[in-house]
Amino acid sequence: MSEEKTTKEIFEEKLKEKKRIPLYNPEAIEKIKEGFDEWKNTKVREKDRENWEVTPHTILGSEIPRGMLYTPCDVADLDYEADVGFPGQEPFTRGPYPNMYRGRVFTIRQLSGAGSPEETNERLKFLLESGATGTNLALDLPTVQMFDSDEPESVGQVGTVGVPIDCVQDMEVIYKDIPIDKVSSSIVTHYPRNSMIIFPMFLVMAEKRGYDWKTLPGSVQNDITMENIVRRAPEYIPPADDFRIQCDNIEFLRKEVPRWNYITLNGYNLREEGTDEIMEMAVAFANGIAILEEMQERGYDPDWVAERMAFFWSVSSDFFEEIARLRAARRLWYKIMKYRFDSKKPRSQLERCHIQTSGISLQRVEPYDNVIRSAFQAMAAILGGTQSLHVDSYAEAYSVPLEEDSLLALRTQQIINAETQVTQVVDPLAGSFYVEKLTNIAESKVLDQLEEIEKEGGFVKAIESGWMHNKIASYIAKERRKIDDGTIKIVGYNYFRRPDVKEPPIKCQEVLEERRQRQIEKLKKWREERDNDKVESCLGAIVDACKSGENVTYKTIEAARAGATEGEMRRKFVEAFGMWKQPLVI
Amino acid sequence: MNEKKIKVLLSAYSLETHSRGIVTVASMLRDAGMEVIYIGNNRPEQIIEAAVQEDVDVVGINSMCGGALELGGELMRSAEEKGIKDNMAFVMGGIFPPEDEPKLKKLGFKALLKPGATSEEVVGSVKEVVEA
Repeated sequence: MSEEKTTKEIFEEKLKEKKRIPLYNPEAIEKIKEGFDEWKNTKVREKDRENWEVTPHTILGSEIPRGMLYTPCDVADLDYEADVGFPGQEPFTRGPYPNMYRGRVFTIRQLSGAGSPEETNERLKFLLESGATGTNLALDLPTVQMFDSDEPESVGQVGTVGVPIDCVQDMEVIYKDIPIDKVSSSIVTHYPRNSMIIFPMFLVMAEKRGYDWKTLPGSVQNDITMENIVRRAPEYIPPADDFRIQCDNIEFLRKEVPRWNYITLNGYNLREEGTDEIMEMAVAFANGIAILEEMQERGYDPDWVAERMAFFWSVSSDFFEEIARLRAARRLWYKIMKYRFDSKKPRSQLERCHIQTSGISLQRVEPYDNVIRSAFQAMAAILGGTQSLHVDSYAEAYSVPLEEDSLLALRTQQIINAETQVTQVVDPLAGSFYVEKLTNIAESKVLDQLEEIEKEGGFVKAIESGWMHNKIASYIAKERRKIDDGTIKIVGYNYFRRPDVKEPPIKCQEVLEERRQRQIEKLKKWREERDNDKVESCLGAIVDACKSGENVTYKTIEAARAGATEGEMRRKFVEAFGMWKQPLVI
Repeated sequence: MNEKKIKVLLSAYSLETHSRGIVTVASMLRDAGMEVIYIGNNRPEQIIEAAVQEDVDVVGINSMCGGALELGGELMRSAEEKGIKDNMAFVMGGIFPPEDEPKLKKLGFKALLKPGATSEEVVGSVKEVVEA
């Protein structure tokens, strides 16, 4: 870490002289306190008084204890301007934009991609025609793990949970007829290395279609949290090198594709793997801080870098906790930018996010119950002020969503938007004593967790040492025991479970060996038709750049142009950096 | 009753990226007093090699994203070659289409565990396949 002080210490130092103007009159607070005590002692049952605070136990919840009732006394020192403010204005608690959903409804971005590139193109067009406002491309497992469709490891997995992409020709098919300068494209590349390999194929496709890179909107994931903490794989490169790859991508994208969100700081997959929303946010913020420090060292202004930073959260079942912490995240990120990086530009102080409802919270037993779970989660995400949303399919525990499942998830979002009318009023829960209190608690808990990571030596060190892997494994075991003994209640599963419950017939994505064979044939032909000497020299240039410290993304662009495949590029990173052994904690 | 600690090897195939399921199962089995060896992601023949080396009672495989059948076939062929197919019990957990279940059983997987399997079910089926 380049800075000695923790983020929390920086805040304490910079905020201690700030004069606070409490919203509530101290005299009124005193009176409310008296009235509250009297009410509690005379009107509330003894049993409720004794159990005043209850700890909610939910899947992926943080177990912040809740009182039975909240009053102004719980937020007696609330300073409206400093803590809540107006939307689109510091501290952004109420939202990144002044008019929020009146200006632009959250982007309805259903993850899709399955089967062949051709089938995926059809699905993307189907969703756009049904009212989706962005595309969100899911890759199949070999593509995520950077293996070509014809490698032996890929057997049985080509086109199963996403689309296969081996080289530029697949990108051309997937995005055929889609106006990629108008419809934003989210490409779920997961890892820094994968983003460095796959995204150049998108850019080469775009230039072949005559688009100027500078006009393209969209996002890639590009997150080391995904590659080195959450992911399991046969091979890893060392975290410090992977962090550099992540930053090379950022530098390249910021300069060459300026409308592109160069990272989606990942909380989602980390949390779904096994952690609460406090750790989810602390880890994403720790990575964000590490990136800005690295870019500062490379000579860039953090304000210029941060304006395209985006976050990705999971929203689970504890309704008010989720809403509160989404508000807290905006305020905390604002403070990090302002006080840690001396940001001057409001745009860089915005914590903008994409949310996916929690897949882990969905059950295989009575799958139709999941429609209800996802709808409540989606509602929480919207009341929390998300910019973009994916609602999980009810059949999550059976298969990747088929067309009708995607449509139901899309309809969930459209019903919330068009029928419930919750989007008419910005941040409607602000001022609730409960929600404001919970927002404060969430913010300070994330800050404490961030400090713990900083004291571990910072983000990359906390990965290298296995500290994060340990945290996850122990969270999984702890949560599982609570499900076993019924502390965490899951309706239909361990709460009011029917003894004779049967699985309904649910259609699953078919695994078709023909699909893999077709993909392999296309790939074979591609390899035959390209200039193999050119490809070899481009692949060699990747190794050289990895070793010399030059920005590697420029080299993978060249390689993609020459026709290099994903697997060919993957191997070059291992050649240059060697392998890292991920701590296998159970 | 078998007093000896049941020894279980857990692995996923090479490209499987998820691990919440396998880590959950590991904690269930360990809480039930079994010895658990988790070797991360491997090719079928590497899994069998480790099973031979560790001399385990049960081999548990995790498959979430397809390939259960194809890679399961390779695993069993490899187990047969090493002569362990009949003296170790093979169990698979994860997400697979219902119509593949009988095929997986036929390949030699003694128990199939799906999302939502309770600790009781997981521990119960491992004990059952060992005793069988």
